[in-house]
Amino acid sequence: MTNAHPSLSPEDIERLKAPARRASIYRIFSYFSPLLLLLLWELSAQAALIDRRFFPPPSAIAGTAWDMIVSLELFDHIGATLRRVGVGYAMGAIPGVLLGLLLGLSAPLRRVLGPIFAALYPVPKIAILPLILLIFGVGDASKFVVIAIGVFFLMFYNTLGGVMQIPQIYLDVARNAGATRFQTFRRIALPSALPSIFTGLKLAAGSSFIIIAAAEFLGARSGVGFFIWASWQTFAVSRMFVGIVVISAMGYLTILAIEALERRFVPWSKH
Amino acid sequence: MNMAVSQTGRNPVAANAAAAIEVRHLVKAFYDASGDRITLAATDVNFTVKRGEFVCIVGPSGCGKTTVLRILAGLEQKLSGEVRIDSTTPPAMVFQEASVLPWLTVAQNVAFPLSLRGVSAEKQRGRVNELLELTGLTEFASAYPHQLSGGMKQRVSVARSLVDDRDVLLMDEPFGALDEQTRLTLQQELLGIWERTGKTVVFITHSVDEALTLADRVLVMSPRPGTIVADLAVPFERPRDVVEMRRDKRFWDLTYEVWRLLAASPEH
Repeated sequence: MTNAHPSLSPEDIERLKAPARRASIYRIFSYFSPLLLLLLWELSAQAALIDRRFFPPPSAIAGTAWDMIVSLELFDHIGATLRRVGVGYAMGAIPGVLLGLLLGLSAPLRRVLGPIFAALYPVPKIAILPLILLIFGVGDASKFVVIAIGVFFLMFYNTLGGVMQIPQIYLDVARNAGATRFQTFRRIALPSALPSIFTGLKLAAGSSFIIIAAAEFLGARSGVGFFIWASWQTFAVSRMFVGIVVISAMGYLTILAIEALERRFVPWSKH
Repeated sequence: MNMAVSQTGRNPVAANAAAAIEVRHLVKAFYDASGDRITLAATDVNFTVKRGEFVCIVGPSGCGKTTVLRILAGLEQKLSGEVRIDSTTPPAMVFQEASVLPWLTVAQNVAFPLSLRGVSAEKQRGRVNELLELTGLTEFASAYPHQLSGGMKQRVSVARSLVDDRDVLLMDEPFGALDEQTRLTLQQELLGIWERTGKTVVFITHSVDEALTLADRVLVMSPRPGTIVADLAVPFERPRDVVEMRRDKRFWDLTYEVWRLLAASPEH
């Protein structure tokens, strides 16, 4: 309940609350708006506006998906992909954030080490996948590593950018208040960079699913990417779409989860 | 930071035993490597601030007054000269712009210096509540800075600078960005706080009016490279009423005097 304000009429209070309420309605709609695209697809396929061999209607795909859910086949693949993305993501994000903070705060480190990262960053992660498979084998380790590399650079550069934008005055405040170097790192640099870190986390989540799909095409016996590739090889188009939808949904839900964390941990920035 | 501490007491150069701050022949210059240019920010700055005194430094923008204050705070290195702060605690600073940390609530902002020192949560709460009371922020304790007006934010800055009870308060145009009415209110509040706490205050402003309202003494600085060109006593009795004192003819005489000095100091 809102605190009582006797000088305001109920209508005034309603008007006052309206924008906040509208914002929460928009949020609910934002979860469902992608469904509109599915509806359009279903109708076009039913009306034979698009070729059903390549674009089976979502209802048919849903039927295939249901069979796979019942047989639990789908969950094995989802589990395998999630584990790879989860571990690789953590392996890339944690050092990415720490090094971003460190280089952001230390000009000498940035000048000396910065060019190394700048030189490595443009290498396409997919292009070095064969090399990583060679080194780490076709098991999960190679998937962890390729995702970690992709995530690392996004987190590193976003964190670095966030730290570089810290207004000097916050650092002055910390210094005048008697902060140690570590306290400045933890109490000033980290929170100032949090909005950029969250932007990085979202970008990295999206690119993790791109990378894992490609990695599982090439060298895996499980996972949603493997499943899409295997379906292609047997021309099981419906199953292929199930894979595509599942991996897209996984990416989408991950980003929603990160946004929820962002609202929780960055309450001072506006959304 | 450490600079201020290392400069405390000991050295008997201080002629006046009651001097809290002594600045002798202070020179500050900046070097711009890309243009290979040296800019002299302040030159041969001399002044003394007695313990418990409220001193305002007034001067045109760019005259180096902020630089002098930052050197006192240990945030900037002097080029030459002597700076002596006789205190067991480093000076606390209130900054020009919004220096309130946006990711902390009002109460957390005020508690910030204490929290760095590992003061117990209970002690922090007690002290913070005192200061929120003193600065009229009690009901905003759990608000975030983006929910506050400019005046409220500067109240938070003032409260934060007082929380760990340091002897010397350095204020860098803390009310410069506020509207006139808010500024007057905060000036009155600051005077009240100063009278109760007996801090030594060095207050930078470009407003002659503000300097005369607050200070025991006004130091007038020349344009860059800044140096102190006059040291005027402000005779109004305490406690002061920031509105009432404007009826006093001496206020306007002094205003005229300071303006004359500012206008007369040579442009470089």
